[in-house]
Amino acid sequence: MAGWRLESPRVLVVDLDGGGGGAVRAATGSMVAYEGDVTFRNAGFGGGGGLRAALKQRVTGESLDLMEVTGRGTVHFAVGAGHVLVVDLAGDVLKAESQSLLALSDPLRTDVTFTGLQGASSGQGLFTTTVSGHGQVALISLGGPPIALRVSPGTPLVVDPDAYIGAVGQLQQSFVSDVSWRNLIGESSGEAFSLRFEGQGVVYLQPEER
Amino acid sequence: MGFTKVTSKVVLAQLRPGAEVLARRGAMLATTGQVSFSPVTAGPGGGGYGGGIASALGRAMQGEAVPLMVAEGTGTVHYGFRGHHVTVVDLDGSEPMSVEADRLLAHDASMASSVVFLGRQGGLRGAVRGAVTGQGLFTTQLSGRGSVALLSHGGTFALQVGGSRQVVVDPQAYVAHTGNLRVDVSASVGWRDAVGRGSGEAVQLRVSGQGTVYVQASEEKL
Repeated sequence: MAGWRLESPRVLVVDLDGGGGGAVRAATGSMVAYEGDVTFRNAGFGGGGGLRAALKQRVTGESLDLMEVTGRGTVHFAVGAGHVLVVDLAGDVLKAESQSLLALSDPLRTDVTFTGLQGASSGQGLFTTTVSGHGQVALISLGGPPIALRVSPGTPLVVDPDAYIGAVGQLQQSFVSDVSWRNLIGESSGEAFSLRFEGQGVVYLQPEER
Repeated sequence: MGFTKVTSKVVLAQLRPGAEVLARRGAMLATTGQVSFSPVTAGPGGGGYGGGIASALGRAMQGEAVPLMVAEGTGTVHYGFRGHHVTVVDLDGSEPMSVEADRLLAHDASMASSVVFLGRQGGLRGAVRGAVTGQGLFTTQLSGRGSVALLSHGGTFALQVGGSRQVVVDPQAYVAHTGNLRVDVSASVGWRDAVGRGSGEAVQLRVSGQGTVYVQASEEKL
């Protein structure tokens, strides 16, 4: 198993032991420095998620560019000076914005799921990337440290889709639109579309809106 | 002497006669006391801040991309630049520092600085390195005892290099290094990159020798 630690809030450090199970998949181009004997290669179609996931990505446009990092050594990952959030998955499902995904340990699977028709109007994709299995995932939070908000039955959560980076748990996701006559006369609040989460889980947000 | 960090993005310098500070023009945020600023004039008569004609020529060729100003007098100056993170490195004079010209926020004027054309340092390879990596062709070399303030996007971390311990750095994330280090371009461009399916890590800087490399947490240029 690869050892993960944070060098600073913005730099993820991964020790690779050269063993078979220690490989990591990371966002393409996210390596800033490494030592040792490490190779980087494109994880292939679908970010290593298999042919089915690759086809779905092609069709849906939910692109996930990952590279496979293998070998023996220490690798430093960082993207856009964003804060790194490491989430441990023990059989749970993590939904993530594909551009917020920094790295994931090898046994995890990635896939693309349909989130609802209204996604088209919010500018966010109709589809989201899901990560499932046992392992660690690193998300990137641009603009500052991420915040985690808990969702429980009876207390749904509404978030800005542009600040949303990911969510873990048994959650139903839907889009809410707040378009009214005010938008037509230019008096909108700037929050016409939101993401609504119901169920049980945790939603992660970044302080910067994309 | 030296710089005191006020926040992660602002440093404070104490000035007195004989302890002047050279800084990027436009980086002054606030000052107290009797402090005057003047542009650094290139040339042998430039007050000893440059490094003679070669350095002046270097600056001239560099264009006015990173003009410097000198602060002298008695008082304090706050420096900061475009909200970038600042790293303060204190040098004891035993080893020089190389820094990308546009990554340098400020340094003690007592340090000798020279602008090195990469083509001279590493011959054609050096020039190629600058062109390929998108880094500047000019690097500022600082030597002597003093304090240096570096700019970075998202802060820096230091990696020790020595003996058989080599470090490979992404060219866009490289900020500076101290010590006697060799920086080579290593390109592992394969057919995958040609068809747009590369890992995005085709061009790398291979650092060997004895010293410390400073790397920023981002691949953004300043």
